[in-house]
Amino acid sequence: MDSVLPILKKELREIWRDPYILGVAILLPLVLLFLFAYAFDLDVEAVPLAVVDLDRSAQSRSYANAFANAGKFNLEYRLADPNEAARQLDRGAVQAVLVIPGGFSRTLLEGDTAQVQTLLDGAFPTSAMVIQGYVEAINAAFTGQYLKTHFAALGMGSNPAITPAVQAAIRVRYNPGLKSANFVVPGLIGVILMAFPPLLSALAIVRERERGSIQQIFVSPLKPWAFILGKLLPYGGIAYLELLLILLAARYWFGVPVAGNFGLFLLACIPYVISTVAIGLLVSTLTRSQLTAMLLAIVLTMMPAFIFSGFMYPLYTMPKILQFYSYFFPARYFTEITHDVFLRGSGLQDWGPQLAFLSAYALGLIGLASQRFKKKVS
Amino acid sequence: MNEIVISAKGLAKTYGRGAKKVAAVRGLDLQVRKGEIFGLVGPDGAGKTTTIQMLCGILTPSSGSAIVENVDVLQNADDLGGEIGYMSEGFSLYGSLSVEENLDFFTQLYKVPPEIAYQRKANLLRFARLNDARDRRAEHLSGGMKKKLALACTLIYQPKVLFLDEPTTGVDPASRQDFWKILYEFLAEGITIFVSTPYMDEAERCNKVALMNQGKIIASDSPAGLKGILQGASLDLIASPQIRALAALRQNPAVRQVQVFGERLHLLLSAGQEHPAILAEQLKTAGIDVASYQATNPSLEDVFIAAIQEKEATGVPTGAAAVHQPDTIERSTPEKRASNHIAVRVENLTRRFGDFTAVDRLNFTVQQGEIFGFLGPNGSGKTTTIRMLTGLLPPSAGRASVGGFDPRSERAAMKSRIGYMSQKFSLYNDLTVNENIRFYGDVYGLPPERLVERRKWVLEMAGLSGKEHLLVNQLSGGWKQRLALGCAILHDPDILFLDEPTSGVDPLSRRQFWDLIFELSNQGVTVFVTTHYMDEAEHCHKLGLLYRGRLIARGSPAELRANMKLGSLLEIPVNDSLAALASLNAIPEIIQTSIFGDRLHILVWDVEASRLSIEQKLASQSLLAGSVQVVPVSLEDLFMLFIEMEEAGRKARQAHG
Repeated sequence: MDSVLPILKKELREIWRDPYILGVAILLPLVLLFLFAYAFDLDVEAVPLAVVDLDRSAQSRSYANAFANAGKFNLEYRLADPNEAARQLDRGAVQAVLVIPGGFSRTLLEGDTAQVQTLLDGAFPTSAMVIQGYVEAINAAFTGQYLKTHFAALGMGSNPAITPAVQAAIRVRYNPGLKSANFVVPGLIGVILMAFPPLLSALAIVRERERGSIQQIFVSPLKPWAFILGKLLPYGGIAYLELLLILLAARYWFGVPVAGNFGLFLLACIPYVISTVAIGLLVSTLTRSQLTAMLLAIVLTMMPAFIFSGFMYPLYTMPKILQFYSYFFPARYFTEITHDVFLRGSGLQDWGPQLAFLSAYALGLIGLASQRFKKKVS
Repeated sequence: MNEIVISAKGLAKTYGRGAKKVAAVRGLDLQVRKGEIFGLVGPDGAGKTTTIQMLCGILTPSSGSAIVENVDVLQNADDLGGEIGYMSEGFSLYGSLSVEENLDFFTQLYKVPPEIAYQRKANLLRFARLNDARDRRAEHLSGGMKKKLALACTLIYQPKVLFLDEPTTGVDPASRQDFWKILYEFLAEGITIFVSTPYMDEAERCNKVALMNQGKIIASDSPAGLKGILQGASLDLIASPQIRALAALRQNPAVRQVQVFGERLHLLLSAGQEHPAILAEQLKTAGIDVASYQATNPSLEDVFIAAIQEKEATGVPTGAAAVHQPDTIERSTPEKRASNHIAVRVENLTRRFGDFTAVDRLNFTVQQGEIFGFLGPNGSGKTTTIRMLTGLLPPSAGRASVGGFDPRSERAAMKSRIGYMSQKFSLYNDLTVNENIRFYGDVYGLPPERLVERRKWVLEMAGLSGKEHLLVNQLSGGWKQRLALGCAILHDPDILFLDEPTSGVDPLSRRQFWDLIFELSNQGVTVFVTTHYMDEAEHCHKLGLLYRGRLIARGSPAELRANMKLGSLLEIPVNDSLAALASLNAIPEIIQTSIFGDRLHILVWDVEASRLSIEQKLASQSLLAGSVQVVPVSLEDLFMLFIEMEEAGRKARQAHG
């Protein structure tokens, strides 16, 4: 261990005196966290809506109000002309348009189904689907209410026609409010830790190579593993610091609740952090220039973490071959752990295997990097 | 005899494969004994760094073997432990760490026990004169101090063998002296030193020297032994008119090489040829007045060139090209030669960067047709000055006039009248010779017909006719250098700025390059050249010595020597350099002593008065190994004294300031 100390101390000193490294290590992850958390806000709220009421009856007004009071729509425009409404949709001023036809209330009174033309902005399919869901739900509620009032007026009370045969008793466990932040932010932890620490650790070694100071290490009796560890520990420490900052932001800014054992989680983060830094060290044994190191690091870490960790899109929706591919990246296992701890509150028995794998992965990377690091110029 | 600590057999290293194969080192053999200073001398690209890295065990050879301190560095480099030290060409220090922290890092890396480390650290800091800079960050040290620190870091764990790769390149003379003093001190403790250097004069300090060129060792012996090969073959001649003397001597088969040093012609005579008096007669009958001639000791550079030419004669390619004789090249507009008017005038030129003054109130003039040399170590302000004169950087104060133009306000007009050759040659490596010339022709706006004739001229001058389709990266250093010069004068400028034009080029090419410069100067081109090679200063008509941004001396080499009243330099071969040095401590008339391998160089005011007492002192301790000779004071010694005066003045100013 005393072989590792000189490298460790020197590295810490250099990092402390280099404002750029500290900036990248501390500030950029937080910036990224906020950017992505807000950009990936999947909640669909306050949808701007335009209503064209060509009937102007009590029924049509009541129908329009059902939307206005549903809590998901902002009734921005009440218009007289459907073309005008379509224009607003084109402009993006509204995301949904209802055109209530002229014979709306008469159709209802005759006992027929009234067709209400509903235009949705499909440019963002996911939100369009959610809005469609809202519309159908509101329609169903309105229909039920109308029928109830209608039958009550006819003196018929409850009627099998309006009582559904099967009702789904839906309870949403794990993130009952379906707040997307609670889902996105824990997943982001894994991604952000994959973005910067590997970059920093890769550059650390390549920079010494470019400067030439690494030749002194070559000539010295220092063993390769001692050198690798001496680089790994300081950057691992910084990565862990990044992690703590992100967790603070997650808890106190985004209000993400933690369902499971937080202390255990902090421990579980250690092998993951080590893996991220070790990947960077491995990259540095593959390349001589800082530029290539950066590109390699990004391709091997950030991109897979983004797409294949399961932080945005559940992995089971992907083709099997890509699911298999995702097993190669530690971000996948870590994201499973974070989702478990934050949202499901399950314990070690559920994510034990993932943890074991991460630890093995970390040790494997360290071994590989040490073995590949040759004390030779070429 | 001491045991052999370094031995290499058939060491070779090849890079790349197929058509791109480059043999950096080809079949090298050498042996170094314990306690020796071994010098590997050669230009850039000779293979010195590759050789050293292989001997240190940090580069795998393509073939051959190397044994250092009984360890096979190919197989078991790890067994070397802390036995060897290596100072690479760059700085290999940790810039953001302080001087002390750097030293501490090395003591910990090599597990030096703390009490011993403390002692050694104190000693080294004192010796290297770095004590006051203990807490300063390494990146804020001057070039010379960085090198001294790097040396201290390798010495602090007391390796048995020390490998130094170009340790004093570009460093100011004072730091260079310090550097060697530190080395000699440690030599007393039995360290073997293996040093590579492009400086021939530095090689003189070694016990044994190997001359290296193009991956092979072409000669190896002690400096005296090497020079002995050329005994009687070196002659200094003063004749006028110099041009005709030059031409006549070049065509004379008895003369191998001629070199111009100001008014002096330095000749290398062919093997086994007649008495120099005959040569002087030949010149006289040709109508050339010979003022004086004197047989001199050949320099190591002479030996190097002779060795290269031997190889050429035997058909082994050396990469030094035969250059078209410059005296038959004519400039296209020979009437350009104006008489005695001032080409460059500089008044109180100053440049500051923040609160750092890089160039401090320079005042000098350069005549048309003159070769003006701007000398100084790295960081003294040479490049900044050239940038101001070429209009690339505005001055903070003062004025300059270049060819009658103000570099700042009349930049566009001035640029067609000046040429500039940068240190890195500014050629495009993946373009051909032709393409580079065409590019520069376009850049300077030469009309097509003019470009055609100038292109032919440049190719001829550079000796590249017939090679115009070669890619630049296929050319050797000497050819690249001449091509770069050609591109810089494509547009026939009146004033030429050369920034360190000869760094990294073999000695033969360097000489040929200076011949070209001299020829251009004769045709009226003003040449402004910067260099950190002190010996090149001798080629210039006028010199300006720059140190820390101030011009501390100005004048021709002869004037500078005369003004300094320098005294004389004695060279004495001795049996034990360090003991001899110590024994002469008591003699007061000695200004300065330095060790050069197995000789002492002693600077004295009065030769006659001091010579005897020195001889007697040394002889009484059986240290005298040969007779005392008077040798010319080098410009480097001169510069050192100027610097010392400047430093003394600076301190006095600060004390009263």
